[in-house]
Amino acid sequence: MQKVIGETKKAFLTGNEAIAWGCLAAEAEIMFGYPITPQNEIMHYWTRLAPKYGKNFLQTEDEISAGFTVCGALQTGLKAFTATAGPGNVLMQEPFGMAEAMRLPFFAIIQQRGGPSSGTVIYSQQEVSLTAHGGNGEGHRIVYSTANHQELYDYTIKGFNTAWKYRFPTFLLGDGYQAKMREPLEMYDPSDRGIEIIKPFPLIGLEGHIGEDREPQHLRNIYSLEEELYDVVLKYDSEYDSIKAELVEFSEMQCEDAEIIIISHGVVSRAAEDAVKALRAQGIKAGCFRPITLRPFPREQLLAVIDKSNAKKMLIAESAMGQLERIVKYEIYGQTLPVETLFMPGVGIIDYDLINKVKSII
Amino acid sequence: MWVTEQNVARVVEAYVGEYASGKSEMAINRALELKNQGRQVTLVDLDTVEPFYTLRPLQDKLENLGVNLICLSAKDSFGLGETGAMLNPKARWALRHEGDIILDIGYGIHGAKTLNLVEGANESEELKILLVINYTRPMTNSRERIKEYIKSFDRIDGIIANTHLANETTVEIIKKGNTEIAAVAEENNLPVVYMAVDIRLAEEVNQHEFEIPIKFINRYMPEAIWS
Repeated sequence: MQKVIGETKKAFLTGNEAIAWGCLAAEAEIMFGYPITPQNEIMHYWTRLAPKYGKNFLQTEDEISAGFTVCGALQTGLKAFTATAGPGNVLMQEPFGMAEAMRLPFFAIIQQRGGPSSGTVIYSQQEVSLTAHGGNGEGHRIVYSTANHQELYDYTIKGFNTAWKYRFPTFLLGDGYQAKMREPLEMYDPSDRGIEIIKPFPLIGLEGHIGEDREPQHLRNIYSLEEELYDVVLKYDSEYDSIKAELVEFSEMQCEDAEIIIISHGVVSRAAEDAVKALRAQGIKAGCFRPITLRPFPREQLLAVIDKSNAKKMLIAESAMGQLERIVKYEIYGQTLPVETLFMPGVGIIDYDLINKVKSII
Repeated sequence: MWVTEQNVARVVEAYVGEYASGKSEMAINRALELKNQGRQVTLVDLDTVEPFYTLRPLQDKLENLGVNLICLSAKDSFGLGETGAMLNPKARWALRHEGDIILDIGYGIHGAKTLNLVEGANESEELKILLVINYTRPMTNSRERIKEYIKSFDRIDGIIANTHLANETTVEIIKKGNTEIAAVAEENNLPVVYMAVDIRLAEEVNQHEFEIPIKFINRYMPEAIWS
């Protein structure tokens, strides 16, 4: 097979481009999409790259359709994907739910924008609840919240593999700032890093006679009886539970002796790391914790970090009105460390905001 | 001969090129350079696709430095929303302004077509269209790709070699990239007007020989939070 990336080298990219290249490196075959800022350049770049590498693209009439066409293509064994944002993410909850029900290897990129509704086209962290727990089911999903362009590339590759390995809908949760920012990253061929790309496989039209050569393939999103559905949801839940430990990812910085722990995710965690360095330089013992997987959440890891620290408080900071905070509080129920918050819905948080907030609460 | 302060009444330049190639940075630096020569300068933000991500955050700063800036301010864009991709009427008539005009043309090849919307652009004898190329950008990271990229434009009058890798730029990266760009430019009979170099690398770069004239630039765009 033609190597897409070739020799590993540093390149200067926007986040959306890093994702489009990551999709190529992950051997994706087709994108179905509908334009919405701030994910547009994923589509634009994919459509520029697609003819050069024998890939395909279809612009559908809306996001509902884009999501369902992905569901269809996945069943035929095509490595398909989509990308969306904001109200598009809302519309796609229905196909995401179908993927959850039928256990389709659905990988989608979400570039968060301001809300509610069309909000702004620019930036937010307001799609956490929707992406991690949306739909009319149990939110059996896997959500990676990235913080820089290297991660956009890395987790795009990883996201496809996760989706095809576990067959739970998998999301790369970025945002408008990450989409548009420009920074250097290393683009590599996954095989050069020992990453094996999982080959797609068909879920329908399988070889052999049903009942003779093989069992029927039941891909269902509707059941006649409540007991049937109940059994399926319990089965999915136990399967999801059993893979949590191998899926959770987090990063932590200088929490061992920290008196205050800043908890943030995504692009805000970059500000948190800068804030910790600045606060430490001023003699304030700060540390930070960042869940990389928002679902499943690194619960045990956060509890362990808190236990090992000298924290008197934690500060949850996000560009939303408490969407991360609700997850954290739920996950570490019983932990009595006082929680302070810095909520800036739809607005960027920089180190300065965090430094000032920390100084005002310690 | 290339346009300089001495041989032309006014400077009218349009900066085009790949998304994130450094067009805005080149345009800002050029506008300030002309301003510092005591000239009257109008800098026009011509990104009609996503006017919210471009020069807007630098508006106050650039205006305080004496540049007349035409872009959509928060007030101008009230009610525009996402579907408000539109041509700022002030930008449409930009060439009728007195003094030097620097046009920052956003959004790649498709953006370059925006120039057709500027009154008098196609007829102007003053207008120079300058293509900004950064060799570290994946779509322009080889001779073949640069050649292919140049072909996608109807008209280019000159090339600016702007090979940078943000804070990780080294002299080696600059040298390698700009040499390749210059080779393709020569093949296409296009002048390389200058190579842009981050002023923080001035000392190091000055120890090397380059055939292309060097222009040291300051970076303004990192002040926009997404840059």
